[in-house]
Amino acid sequence: MKLAAYIRSTFGGRKLATIGLIWLCLVALAAIFAPLLAPFDPYEIDPVARLSEPGLPYLFGTDHFGRDTFSRAIYGARMTVVIGAGSVIVALLTGGLIGMLSAYFPRLGAVLMRGIDVLMAFPALLLALVLITLLERSVVNTVLVIGIVYATTTARILFGMTLKLKGEVFVDAAICSGAGHGSILFRHILPNLISPLLVQASFIFAFAQLQAAALDFLGLGLPAEVASWGNMLSEERIYVTRAPWLLIYPGVLIILSVFSMNLVGDAMRDAIDPRFKDDIAGV
Amino acid sequence: MALLDVEDLQIAVAKGRVLLPVVQGVSFSVDADETLGIVGESGCGKSLTSLAIMGLLDGTAVRITGGTIRFDGMDLGALSPKERRAIMGNRMAMIFQEPMTSLNPVYRVGDQIVENLRQHRDLSKRAARDRAVELLDLVRIPDPGQRIDSFPHQMSGGQRQRVMIAMALSCDPKLLIADEPTTALDVTVQKEVLDLMADLQKRMGTAIVLISHDLGVIAETCDKVSVMYRGRVAEAAPTAELFARLAHPYTRGLLNSIPVVDHDVEWLEAIPGRVPTIDEQLTGCAFHPRCPLATDLCSQTAPDPLQIAPAHRVECHFAEKVVT
Repeated sequence: MKLAAYIRSTFGGRKLATIGLIWLCLVALAAIFAPLLAPFDPYEIDPVARLSEPGLPYLFGTDHFGRDTFSRAIYGARMTVVIGAGSVIVALLTGGLIGMLSAYFPRLGAVLMRGIDVLMAFPALLLALVLITLLERSVVNTVLVIGIVYATTTARILFGMTLKLKGEVFVDAAICSGAGHGSILFRHILPNLISPLLVQASFIFAFAQLQAAALDFLGLGLPAEVASWGNMLSEERIYVTRAPWLLIYPGVLIILSVFSMNLVGDAMRDAIDPRFKDDIAGV
Repeated sequence: MALLDVEDLQIAVAKGRVLLPVVQGVSFSVDADETLGIVGESGCGKSLTSLAIMGLLDGTAVRITGGTIRFDGMDLGALSPKERRAIMGNRMAMIFQEPMTSLNPVYRVGDQIVENLRQHRDLSKRAARDRAVELLDLVRIPDPGQRIDSFPHQMSGGQRQRVMIAMALSCDPKLLIADEPTTALDVTVQKEVLDLMADLQKRMGTAIVLISHDLGVIAETCDKVSVMYRGRVAEAAPTAELFARLAHPYTRGLLNSIPVVDHDVEWLEAIPGRVPTIDEQLTGCAFHPRCPLATDLCSQTAPDPLQIAPAHRVECHFAEKVVT
């Protein structure tokens, strides 16, 4: 099994990263099987039981509408995965394409990369805020905005790596064998970028969570009724003294997940780095 | 008409707004079945010449500023990129100096040969793979049926260079340009690779341009030689004629700086100085600062090409003196 061997070589001997990976698997399972795992409908209101303390039947207590916090947390995992995966896809597709094309066609790059520089001049959250105010609040728009914010760094990284690969002899050899631009970019250069792309993806996945939570908290992210960890924080923040568990549970979930993704990303980068260098130098 | 005809090729490097000439009027021609050796120190423009023939100069920082390159009657400079791509890897192919980096590390070697084949020939995947195995066998890779699925990093330098040769030969090119194909290899492997190229040439009638800084390699494999110095052909002649009657002090210097195994030499004669950098302005003969025979004439006037025998051309004021 290639995957098993890859996981062993990446996470073997790294306890924290392994725990992080396990946690992320749990989150993924919760997201997939949310309807089966959640004891209540996350949107069902039970006014009598509002703001009840953690216990039975409401494991994590209820919010000010009387919705079950545990069920909402499980459904929130879905949003976590959707936001993370969506942002990664948007960021890698747009940023990756811009970076690669810019490096490969220097004149185009002179224009595109200046645009990227302008976008990068803004702090990530500010850029996200500016973009989101232009759009309606929805899951798709949140994903788009966060994706675009991280497309800038992706473009930068891929720009540099493509520039380096473009000077490799095997690219000259490909030109000599009569390969066209498309074939050189996507068949000869792109496969060499898979490793850094993977690492980049893991970090974007993590940061997207933070961005989404921040946007939710500011009331600019997902529509208020959507069960997401950020929304839970944002909606219940006024009850922090009366019902602190409403903030603690989603807060801890966000921290654990982001931390886990960073650990996993680190492990992947460390595992890939030396090998990546080897592949390029051919040593 | 020769298969490859390079006439008065000029290449310049852009430095800021100034164009510095690095190849200044190089001419040579190669016929089918023939091997031309281009020899010279680092920085004399031999690699740039080969890159220019393959169309690998980027056209901005390094560009062709004059001359024509004719291949099989076509002016390569006048071809569209598409027409050019149809020729490259097909009717002309190139082998690079570093076998370690000239194969894409993420593909199996077989796939790279197959890709080149399918780019130019209408072959099924199956047929292309069979042909790739044949080619690997041809370049004497042991157990080609297995090795075709190896990744480049699983092969030695010599094997990778053979794969490169197999790839270059995949479409039976008429012209093969080999830029220092053996420099990065062990001496024993070097010999095998050179023998292999000579053998394949005999079988397929390919014309070869062999670029090297090693006169020994050139002497053994080439039919004719062009000695380059600072972007010019200092001396050109058929190999036997060249070694019988060296007429340029630079060629003589190159030869003297080769250690001879069966002689007990205490002192190896190197050419004093170094190749002038491209932005150094030189008047007269480019070699005069390093030449033992240099006079005032050399530092003032550039020598005209001199024909000292049929097909033996040399650019030196004192060629007659050097020969004797």
